[in-house]
Amino acid sequence: MYRFCIRKCVYSILFCLGFVVTAAAQEFRFTTTVSSNSVTMDETFQIQFMLENGQNVSSFTPPSFKDFEVVQGPSQMQGQSIFNGKRSEYVALIYLLQPKHVGSFTIAGAQARVNGNMVKSNPVLIEVRKGSAPSQAQPSNPYAGNPSHGRSSGGGDDLPEGVLKKGEDLNEKLRKNIFLKVDVDKTNLYEGEQLTATYKLYTRLPTNSSVTKVPAFKGFSAKDIELPNPPQATEERVNGVQYKVFTIRKTLLFPLQSGTLELDPVEVDNQVRLISIVNNKQRGSRGRDPFEDFFNDPAFRDPFFDDFFNRPEVTYQDVPYKIQSNPISIHVKPVPVEGRPESYNGAVGSFNMTANVDKTKLTTDEALTLKVSISGRGNVNLLNSPKIDVPSGFEKFDPKVTDDIEKNSNPLQGSRTFEYVLMPKEAGDHTIPAVEFSYFDPVANAYKTIKSEPFTIHIEQGKQTKQEKQDFSVGKNELVKNETGVLNWTRNHTWFILSPWFYILLLIPVLVLAGLFLYKRRKDYKTTNAAVLKHRYANKVALKRLELAARYLKEGKDKAFYEETSRAVWGYLSSKLKIPMADLSKQLVQDKLGQRSINGSNTKDLFELIDNCEVALYAPGQDNRRMQGTYEQAVTIISNLEEALKN
Amino acid sequence: MLKSILFALVMLFTGFTTISAQTPQKRFEEANNLFNQSKFTEAARTYQQLIDEGYHQTSLYFNAGNAWYKAGKTGMAVYNYEKALQQSPNNQSVKHNLDIANQKVDGFVGELPLVFFQQWWQNLRLLHTPNGWATGVIIFFWLFIAGVALTRFLPGRSSTYIAIANYVTAVLTLLYLSVAISTYLSANDHSTGVIMAQHKVKSAPDETSRDIFEVGEGVKVHVTDATNEYCKIELADGKSGWISCAAIKRL
Repeated sequence: MYRFCIRKCVYSILFCLGFVVTAAAQEFRFTTTVSSNSVTMDETFQIQFMLENGQNVSSFTPPSFKDFEVVQGPSQMQGQSIFNGKRSEYVALIYLLQPKHVGSFTIAGAQARVNGNMVKSNPVLIEVRKGSAPSQAQPSNPYAGNPSHGRSSGGGDDLPEGVLKKGEDLNEKLRKNIFLKVDVDKTNLYEGEQLTATYKLYTRLPTNSSVTKVPAFKGFSAKDIELPNPPQATEERVNGVQYKVFTIRKTLLFPLQSGTLELDPVEVDNQVRLISIVNNKQRGSRGRDPFEDFFNDPAFRDPFFDDFFNRPEVTYQDVPYKIQSNPISIHVKPVPVEGRPESYNGAVGSFNMTANVDKTKLTTDEALTLKVSISGRGNVNLLNSPKIDVPSGFEKFDPKVTDDIEKNSNPLQGSRTFEYVLMPKEAGDHTIPAVEFSYFDPVANAYKTIKSEPFTIHIEQGKQTKQEKQDFSVGKNELVKNETGVLNWTRNHTWFILSPWFYILLLIPVLVLAGLFLYKRRKDYKTTNAAVLKHRYANKVALKRLELAARYLKEGKDKAFYEETSRAVWGYLSSKLKIPMADLSKQLVQDKLGQRSINGSNTKDLFELIDNCEVALYAPGQDNRRMQGTYEQAVTIISNLEEALKN
Repeated sequence: MLKSILFALVMLFTGFTTISAQTPQKRFEEANNLFNQSKFTEAARTYQQLIDEGYHQTSLYFNAGNAWYKAGKTGMAVYNYEKALQQSPNNQSVKHNLDIANQKVDGFVGELPLVFFQQWWQNLRLLHTPNGWATGVIIFFWLFIAGVALTRFLPGRSSTYIAIANYVTAVLTLLYLSVAISTYLSANDHSTGVIMAQHKVKSAPDETSRDIFEVGEGVKVHVTDATNEYCKIELADGKSGWISCAAIKRL
């Protein structure tokens, strides 16, 4: 039910459409349109006679343009258009006119015979004002009226010939009719993105041109597109004026740096051939029936042919004219930092990558080839080799790069292949990690990464032995990584060896030792040293006493003499034999002397002397002579004992 | 009350110590991060600041050397590696990186390897820290003195063992003392230096004198003599001449 309804609807709509189309196709119109109703003296304007949906058009007569100059035309336009389902066919004739006088003029409509009936288009009113800058050069070209034979819209008409008329400014004419133009497809782009620059020469004059200075394209990588040789002219309309256009250079540019870069101008030397007309035949402004001219042989319209036959009075003139294009600034943005993959190395465009190895099973004698092929659109010619992390079991060589770039492709298209030769060094199963390639896509404004599969390679030991043990290890020429980790942050400035504590600590034991020595010495003195001293000085003490005794002897004091002598001898013995005074006895002295092996005459003399002294003390009245003998005996004995005890 | 004040004081003290211990470590890690972000010059500056503040860790010198190398300052890199080697002469990483840095040095001449006893001496010196050697001197001297006192004042106990021990301690004291002095002298020996920028070497300490040869950045030289402005340098291959002292960074 529902479907039926839709089908019905569709049918009805189709029916309606068909009716409208057939109805609209019948509508006939013949109109005159102008590009501007109000023009100045030096301005040109377009007038178009449009015949729509006319059938069997047998003649077409344009009105006379007696107050106007036909700069160009007529050009014919034919076509069909379907607008809002209305199909229409049209034929149009277009003239480019320039007024001759100031004032208001009415251009009558054109006449045409359609289906046997004469029809007329509407007349138009043109108001001509005085130009703000009256032009000295009135380009009333004698050939401007030549009709065109183009069938497409804006079909080509003849270029104005290089005719220099009287009163025409040469420079002005050259400037107007020859110039250079640089076309760039974009002026704002990313680093590495493609830019197409076309240097074109626009001319309306016959010229022999040569390029004297080609742009250097500083900051770009340039790839020229081959141009046909000899150069082919195309035609282009600029401000309604038809020019012959020669492409001097067409280059694909890839900015290598960011910033504002400038495209250098191109310089062209022209030799313009101008014809000076000596006897000018004015025949341009005559309105002519373009349909007549369809049947004219083109050869007869050739200007040189015309010149040759009709106007032998012209002279040629070759004018040198140097022109330069305008420099163009290009703003290059760096590729965005955020989201930039690690494997990105400068590719901009749209690419595809394939990676493969030629074999997965080999011996150490063979070599393995890893082929990475990157194809696509973009800066193919600038692609860097993708980084490949080869495991340590392989020796890697620099890749061989082969380019396959499509000739004259715009945008640049092609592929670049990197062939890595890998020499296995160790047998076993090795895995070559996936090859990664990233590029920046300026259309999507994003980075894209392509990854291959990792390759597993089985390697067997070959027959060939290893030649020499060379260090091909990874990181041979790589820095050892930084040390991270917690350090012991001390400033080890202080030198203990320089600090006073070092010396103090060295001195302390020395002082302690010295103190100990002193202490012991003092202790020894108290015990043994006092006796040692006595012993050492015993002789002197005894002799002193004997001196005193000698004085008593002279004075005749016999008792004092014996007393002193006795004391000297006992004192000496006490000191020398280290016997305290109180313990002295003859027996002890004899024992001590015996211990020291002093016997015989010495001991006998000693005891004799001691006896003598004791006897004399208790039996006074001794004579002087005897005292003298005792004294001498005492001196002898003490010196003898001294001698004996020394040994 | 008193307890809480004491506690606060303790906290304050420990807080201070942790701050002062962390700051250089933080800066060190920050420099490591800079290095990882390939900002080598900034990283090198940070390391160098720490060094200038008196932190002389081998790792610090090592990282600074790496950073300067990556930043393209070969002279500074060699200097820092040499400094690191002074502290740990057997550090293989430092040696390896110094070798790499020396590959960039124009006119690099390798030094003669040390003779075996020099190596022994060098390794012996590494047995203790410099202050450890000095401490050892003190310890052994005390032991020696104690031994002497024993033999002297306890005559009854005097044995040959103590006498031998005395000789041993005396020898050890002298050994430790000589090593301590030698480490001190070598650490304060500024007779070697690294050339910081390519420079012409003159035949005399005078601007007008003749140029003999050129030394490249990063060449290690021995300074054998010096005036106020000029230093006499000797290269490892025996070439010598005068150069502006400003071009040399003394090790």
